[in-house]
Amino acid sequence: MSGGKHKILIANRGEIAVRIARACLKLGRDFVCIYTAEDAQSGHVRLAREYGAQKGLYRVSSYHDANELLAVADDSGADALHPGYGFFAEDYRFARRVQRRKRPLIFIGPSWQVIRDLGDKINTKRLARSLGVPTVPGSDKPIYDEMEAEKFARTIYEFQLRQGIEHPVVLVKASAGGGGMGIEEVHDIDLFRSIFRRIRNYAARQFKDEGVLIEQRIRDFNHLEVQILAERDCANVVHFGTRNCSIQSTGLQKRLEAAPGFDSKTLPYNFDADQLLENITRHSLVMAREVRYDSIGTWEWIVARDGSAYLMEVNTRIQVENGVSAAITRIRGEKGVDLIAEQIRTALGQPLGYTQADISFAGVGLEYRIIAEDPEHRFTPWVGRIDNFRWQERDWLDLYTHVPRDCPYDIPTEFDPNLALGIVWGQNLEQARAHGREFLDGLILEGQSQNGDELKSNVRFLRAKTDEVLSF
Amino acid sequence: MLDISALLEEIKNSPYAEMSVCAPHSGRIRFAPDLKEGLILSGPQGDFAEKPGTLLAHIERERNPRPITCPERGELVAVRRELDGQFVEAGTELLQFRHFLSRQEVEKRILQKALHLFLAPERARYYFVPAKDIKIKTAGPRSVFVHDGEELFIMSRMKRETPLPYHGPEGVIYAVYFSHAANVESATPLIGVCPPDMLPQVEEVVLRVQTEWPERS
Repeated sequence: MSGGKHKILIANRGEIAVRIARACLKLGRDFVCIYTAEDAQSGHVRLAREYGAQKGLYRVSSYHDANELLAVADDSGADALHPGYGFFAEDYRFARRVQRRKRPLIFIGPSWQVIRDLGDKINTKRLARSLGVPTVPGSDKPIYDEMEAEKFARTIYEFQLRQGIEHPVVLVKASAGGGGMGIEEVHDIDLFRSIFRRIRNYAARQFKDEGVLIEQRIRDFNHLEVQILAERDCANVVHFGTRNCSIQSTGLQKRLEAAPGFDSKTLPYNFDADQLLENITRHSLVMAREVRYDSIGTWEWIVARDGSAYLMEVNTRIQVENGVSAAITRIRGEKGVDLIAEQIRTALGQPLGYTQADISFAGVGLEYRIIAEDPEHRFTPWVGRIDNFRWQERDWLDLYTHVPRDCPYDIPTEFDPNLALGIVWGQNLEQARAHGREFLDGLILEGQSQNGDELKSNVRFLRAKTDEVLSF
Repeated sequence: MLDISALLEEIKNSPYAEMSVCAPHSGRIRFAPDLKEGLILSGPQGDFAEKPGTLLAHIERERNPRPITCPERGELVAVRRELDGQFVEAGTELLQFRHFLSRQEVEKRILQKALHLFLAPERARYYFVPAKDIKIKTAGPRSVFVHDGEELFIMSRMKRETPLPYHGPEGVIYAVYFSHAANVESATPLIGVCPPDMLPQVEEVVLRVQTEWPERS
């Protein structure tokens, strides 16, 4: 067991800061939150005021200022730092600095070497290929030069034509991007250069890095994930099953996730779905052991309609959708698994206390990302004030939100307009879908923009997609 | 028709701006030793504003002391001495000073009434489209002539970018009111456009301010 009393700086905001704070409370750990001026109304600020440690809340100029975060850690007396997702979560230089500074902190995430090796899409691809793990055909380094990029794109385009693909598509992705941002499809190779320039300019503005990746666009695919957790000393690596994140916005951002990854008991597939889930889980575990993975992480896979699977990337951090895997997981038959709490516990040096044999799965979980956006207009973010946000508490529902329920909330324009995560559970797919519909139908979400327009959200989209979840 | 005399008189009646200096980020604050109420402060100086203003304090985070200098010239009104040596949060007010408006600021205030202002439709970050951006960076905003309906801006919210056309009279971009990658509030001016027929009046504003507004050293 880890000795001493730890105090954890939550270097993040919004919903993930709320979930980490709750996990700290569950574990009896003190926590410290940070916020920027735009986030003053956020639920994580309120949680820190109510339950945080003494010196438990700091206003900072930016979530991106490493010096400032570390100065806050020192002043508050924090001895561990949870990066959440985004921001510094996959920045190995930051993780290294946290661990090596004069007053070292425990980084609640993988070791910096692991983040360096796996946190980068390109390195991951190289490593996977070296282990015989299949990856999506494409460039294995960021491309900056237009001529070189076009030459590469033409090669991929012609490769698809030779494969008999009638309408080949090439993906142009900002190398430093993530979460589906900065990706465009090229259907006509003669338009490649203009799209390449657009993405390169976008990447320079948004990510301060012009690097672009070129990949084959695999159409008609499912996006699967394998959830891994490993002890700090890498001795015990376990998985928490698979999940399916195929229901996405037009910008390829996840909106509705389900666990497990396929449901062969209920739905027909063109391939042996159970075997496929077993294969990708095995491949993910092999890679995790090979790199001496030592925290929570997600192996992301693309599965084509013929059942072939390609590793896309590894997320060396907690994710938005970890909760849906936890919802179907039982440890020694007990529910109530909290993967963030498990991540914190193991990062602080505690052993897992169970093995793969103790982990079982029950039922189906669905996770709804409630977002202020307009699905009918390419999921354009909606900006305005939330006046009324309510839902009915159920024993099959967990809802995480940073939006206060007792006062109006202005959505900050600096960040994605994610409002809440609703995770429902059912004994089977049919019941999970029924619970999902009941949750969405009972959800009250009202507000208006500065121009007086009514709040737009993706609830109707999620309701419609509930019927399609896990089918392929 | 713009009444330049009345506007100038109005500003002359209240020639000061009350300003405060806040902590730019979290950190431990150390005020400069000779700060006292009534002290005359200088702002950045030099042809390129390369000389910083009066040193007010240092703020240190992670052994990186950062000087906080006065952003404008003025007179010190109040210092929060109780914060000296303390760890302060970003945005904490450190001191207040009174700033006498410069010619440039007076000119800007009056010109905002003369020029056609194109306002930000939403709270967002704004950029010029790459072609205009290059021209503005190399030859200045007044080298760009804009037309109604012309795609001029990129509006960025939550990393989603939307093209934003300019709407208004044709003319040169006389003033740019936003800075690169900074958030702009809704209904705040982005640019001031000077239609050709307004040019004599705008030139008169500049001339009158140059001759009638005393610059304090």
